Amino acid sequence: MIESNSVYAGLAGSSASLPKNPGSGPDGPIESAIEASMCAQPSLGESSLGWLESRGNWSRRNFIKGIIASGVAVSGVPYLASAASRPALQAGAVERLISLNVNGQTRRVDVLPNETLAMTLRYKLGLTGTKLGCDRAECGACTVLIDGVTHYSCSTLTQRVRGKEIQTVEGLESASGELHPVQQAFIDELGPQCGFCTPGQVMAAVGLLMENPDPTREEARQAMAGNICRCGNYDHYLNGIMRAAREV
Amino acid sequence: MLNDMMSHFELYQPADVDNAFDLLDRFGEECWTIAGGHDSLAWFKDRGKQPSAVIDLAGIAELHGIRETAGGIELGAMTTLTEVERHPVIQERFSILADAARMVASPQIRNSGTLGGNVLQDTRCWYYRFGLACYRAGGNTCYASAPEAMNREHAIFGASRCVAVTPSDPAPALVALGADMVIRNSGGERVVPASEFFMTPAVDIQRMTGLEPADLLTTIRIPDTWAGANFYFEKVADRGSWDFPLVNVAAALRIEGDRISDASIVVGGVQAVPRRLTAVEDLLRGRVQNEETAAMAGAAAVEGAEPLRYNHFKVPLMENLVKRAVRDA
Amino acid sequence: MAELIGQDYTPPDIRAKVTGRAKYAEDIRADGMLFCRLLTSPMPHARVRNIDASAALAMEGVVAILTADELPEVPAPGNTILTNEPLYVGAPILALAAVDETTAQNAIAAINLELEPLEFCVDPLDSLRPGGPNARTDGNTPRGRETVAEMNTSEGVGEIKWTEQDFADAGEGQMPLGQHEREWSYGDVDAGFASASLVLDESFVTAGHAHHSMEPRSAMAYWQNGKCYVYGSSQSQAYIVPGLAAMLEIPPEDLVYIAEFCGGGFGSKGGAYPVMAIPGYMSKKTGRPVLMRISRAEENFIGVCRPAFQGRLKIGFQPDGRITAVDLYIVQDNGPNSGGGDWTAAGSAMSLVYTPPAMRFRGLPILTNTPPKGAMRGPGQNQLATAVEPIIDKAARQLGIDPVAIRRINAPDNSSAYGPNQGPVSSAYQREALDMGAEQFGWEARRARSGQRRGSKVTGVAVGQAFHSAGASGFDGLLRIAPDGKLYVHTGVGNLGTYSYSTTSRVAAEVLGYDWDNVEIVRGDSSRGLPWTLGQFGSNTSHTETRANYASAMDAVQKLKEIAAMDLGGSPEDYDVGEEVVFARGNPSRRLTYAAAAQRAIQLGGRFSGQEVPADINAMTARATEVIAGTGLVGVARDGFPTRGTVPALAAGFIEIELDIETGQFEIIDYLGVADCGTVLHPLGLSGQIKGGAVMGFGMAALERQVYDRHYGLPGTVGLHQTKPPTYLDVPLDMGWSAVDIADPANPVGAKGIGEPTMGCAAAALLCAISDALGGHYFNRSPIVPDMIMNAAAGQAQSHGPLHVHTQ
Repeated sequence: MIESNSVYAGLAGSSASLPKNPGSGPDGPIESAIEASMCAQPSLGESSLGWLESRGNWSRRNFIKGIIASGVAVSGVPYLASAASRPALQAGAVERLISLNVNGQTRRVDVLPNETLAMTLRYKLGLTGTKLGCDRAECGACTVLIDGVTHYSCSTLTQRVRGKEIQTVEGLESASGELHPVQQAFIDELGPQCGFCTPGQVMAAVGLLMENPDPTREEARQAMAGNICRCGNYDHYLNGIMRAAREV
Repeated sequence: MLNDMMSHFELYQPADVDNAFDLLDRFGEECWTIAGGHDSLAWFKDRGKQPSAVIDLAGIAELHGIRETAGGIELGAMTTLTEVERHPVIQERFSILADAARMVASPQIRNSGTLGGNVLQDTRCWYYRFGLACYRAGGNTCYASAPEAMNREHAIFGASRCVAVTPSDPAPALVALGADMVIRNSGGERVVPASEFFMTPAVDIQRMTGLEPADLLTTIRIPDTWAGANFYFEKVADRGSWDFPLVNVAAALRIEGDRISDASIVVGGVQAVPRRLTAVEDLLRGRVQNEETAAMAGAAAVEGAEPLRYNHFKVPLMENLVKRAVRDA
Repeated sequence: MAELIGQDYTPPDIRAKVTGRAKYAEDIRADGMLFCRLLTSPMPHARVRNIDASAALAMEGVVAILTADELPEVPAPGNTILTNEPLYVGAPILALAAVDETTAQNAIAAINLELEPLEFCVDPLDSLRPGGPNARTDGNTPRGRETVAEMNTSEGVGEIKWTEQDFADAGEGQMPLGQHEREWSYGDVDAGFASASLVLDESFVTAGHAHHSMEPRSAMAYWQNGKCYVYGSSQSQAYIVPGLAAMLEIPPEDLVYIAEFCGGGFGSKGGAYPVMAIPGYMSKKTGRPVLMRISRAEENFIGVCRPAFQGRLKIGFQPDGRITAVDLYIVQDNGPNSGGGDWTAAGSAMSLVYTPPAMRFRGLPILTNTPPKGAMRGPGQNQLATAVEPIIDKAARQLGIDPVAIRRINAPDNSSAYGPNQGPVSSAYQREALDMGAEQFGWEARRARSGQRRGSKVTGVAVGQAFHSAGASGFDGLLRIAPDGKLYVHTGVGNLGTYSYSTTSRVAAEVLGYDWDNVEIVRGDSSRGLPWTLGQFGSNTSHTETRANYASAMDAVQKLKEIAAMDLGGSPEDYDVGEEVVFARGNPSRRLTYAAAAQRAIQLGGRFSGQEVPADINAMTARATEVIAGTGLVGVARDGFPTRGTVPALAAGFIEIELDIETGQFEIIDYLGVADCGTVLHPLGLSGQIKGGAVMGFGMAALERQVYDRHYGLPGTVGLHQTKPPTYLDVPLDMGWSAVDIADPANPVGAKGIGEPTMGCAAAALLCAISDALGGHYFNRSPIVPDMIMNAAAGQAQSHGPLHVHTQ
């Protein structure tokens, strides 16, 4: 199956055969310092794990079973939560069938109270351009514009953006297929590498240029600082933003 | 820690504070209040907190915005950090608060994260966040202070069973500015100085502030006391963006001639609460603002520091930051 | 004639990336699809005593669970799909499928898992101590392992313990040199040291760090007509198929593997990896499509990571800086499984980058209960760069030699040799790279600023180097000229994000004289007929695939000429190709368009249209050719272009920083990366590799952390704000790049790979610059984070034990 060995030599060095010795030394307390610790907890070497019992508290949560009629979901397939995970509505709590303004269109969506905008976009509205890189407001791949301002959609409850204008990467292209200047500039400057962070980078850059059409490179990188590119192509993205700013 | 799907809760979006108080009273300990929601949603996803009712404060108009008052300014607790950072009056008269807000996490977080939410966020001690039953989580030990514990980010002052630190950048600025925290509940209103708002583990090991379950932090008032003073804010963190402070410092100095007539210096990241350096402030009054005074202030600032296994770097770091603050404010 | 090599162009997949249309595994939806989530280990080492999933299975919407008992056994120390003996926090124990994600998560939480905690170890030196803990019940070192990182080829587990005497002999803070597993040497090492005027003997630690690709390794699978369809996240395409099929226990031809886009891999998604098989098994069990979305925290653990090194380097120098001998010893933190071959790769890299006339390498991998280890961008070579380059600077300082000069005098060239066998290299122009970089960076002028103070800020100026073997040979090319006149280049390369899948395809277009607009690349879906090729890792693609595509294009050229000779008279040698026609050399009006030739190839059948294939091609390529046989003129061939030994990719990084000795923070003022990658194929793509690699290198050198509590074996760094990949604000505002651009003779277009050393040279340069700014304080450790700089600047002891890993 392997046609060449040279790459393996490169990947992993020599495969020269070498002596192997089974080894065992005299006994000695490796963890003596640890056992002598002042820590009140038993060490992991013992069978009782007091420190782990706490984990049970958050694995045995109070799950309420219930059903809600939901024949009006936008998508035919309830990817995020189906009847199985929908408890009955409590008085005074938010309604679940709501209208969202996404990319200029009003969409009726069945939204759970604990649902984030990223999940709604991806699973209910089929807008998978918004990426879940961390789901912790730390990477920026889920960045969308809410009333023209950049937000992490993974950490925004959908119920909070009723009545607001949501713009995702899918909403940037014109009807005739013309790309937003940021998108075109990112192509011209080869901004994306793997591309997973790109929709977030695009939206952060669009948000920046809406607010500051003529940023300095330093202003641009400050505005982009909430978007990680693990491929490290920051220089190319900044080149793209400066190019787009010239062309906007 | 390994989850990212929140358990179920009902969401309530009150339109005014009275409605919010009704909900707080109705649900008691079962409910959780969210501002920007970043810290809260992380807890929910971890399932470290599983409230049955969540009260979203975003729709309460009176909690938003920055107002000038007779004696200073008032910030609604739901004012975003971006608004704080960019507000002309804050930039002009209370610039350490704008500077501190600008140092928080990332642009997106500042766009939805609020000043109130930021100062109320929980500590980032990784053992605690991992879900271990430490003192702060209601257990009976502190993992972070064990002899071999990885406690680089932890406290060098004021440890009392727990060694967690305040993660906030704006909090030291608020304490330095002598801010007042306006707290309301269905029973009325009380005003707590920021310097007393944050709680050491010796007072209550399970809470970071004096906010009770039925309370709302509604307003933050900044008096004119330090308006237009010589300010200094600096944050040292591992990354240039999206990071919590290893140590930060917020300082306000009044200078008359070449002498320091008054000073307010607060350090974050070294204790569970923003550490007000009153002894250093006393030392500074009447002294010439120069390198020598600054060095003396720095040295005095770290007196009594008790570093842990992995964080003694915070001692010279804090010393230097206080020195710079006094020298360069 | 086309002139595609060395030109920028718009890669065909980039528009999908900027519009959000690019579909990654997690974006795939199917009717009736189930969601799968994992129950992972909270303990560093434990045995599953009991799993009670009855409450979970009784929940509405829960469809099935999958446990290790239902999966094929993996011989130790291979990495498991699911396990009953989790060996690290985050190890998948069980998978659960439900109708939606919330239900799945709720059900996971309802499972009662009984674990018996077992002895664990998170630092190899702890395990090597007499009586020290073993990471596995059967030992602490993999046995008989082969060097292919992603294959579970180890044969069992053994135990190695050092003696108290070993530790005592080393002395305080020095790396003990106990029993090793492998050793090789060449030249007279003792004589080399005896002749040296300076000998340094340095212990070092390089920390591990997680890949944290932006796309967690989600996967979706379903079965149809006996075949398993898997949408995966992988940097490779064809190379995934055999491994994943084996894990699913099906023949490769029964696996349809689709990976059009991959959200980053950096080595961690090079081959088939265990959790990728879970949706396939779950789908088989439930009869429904299954999507498994992996969380960021899960990715931190199962996404593997770069292994840490604890090592010792003895190195001798002449007064002019020329190295006389090297003695390198490395203990690799191998994680709990087969791990990677970083430690041996590091030894080989040492022999080439510094060309010591005599060298000994010794080392051993030791198992720990930390996440599985796998190849990460420059596996071994980049750890070596971060360990050795600051030591080279230390020698330069002691000998009074300029940092560029000491590297230059030891730099490899075309006559240099590689590895234990001291085999030949195809080409090496590191001296040219150093010279080019020094000139473009303004080295002399900048170097004069070294140590300059501006308030509390000190300038550091440095250079770093790194290497990776960057090219393979002998893989297959496949293409088709269709009756519509278009060229369809079939490639089994993955879509890692380097655009090399298309840049290397342009070689076929170049050979055939195609207008690029008339070329389509067929890729990303094994059912479309993709030839066998090496995985997209090891910086190999630019070299390997240009060879393969050159081979298939030459095959097509030959067939075009034969068809022309048949139809227009004369012999094939009378004809030439260009501008999408085959024409008679003396009389260009005697010509056939490619479209007409393709039509003729269909009529002719046989080898012209792929009904017959060469005997030496891979079975996968033969199957791929069947997919397109009879639809055009088919070029298919195994790369038989001559080889000339190891294909080195070399890189140098030049850096200036300003370090604040009062805060431990620094700013990178400027950075220039220079590559020796043969002929430049795609300038913008190369720029991205040099700069992007450098950004990752800055992370490796000074940001990225992997912390474990030694007492509890728990991870202190999981999320991105804890592991700290670089942000926009941690890198220079502007970055520069350059390339030697001298053709490699072992490649038809002169190409070598480059993706990996661009990271190592930057990491090394930054570490050297920090030391330079601190006036020669060498940490012998990476990463160097602000607390360490602060301690050094304040003249106080470091917190970490000198040889501890997982403390930074």
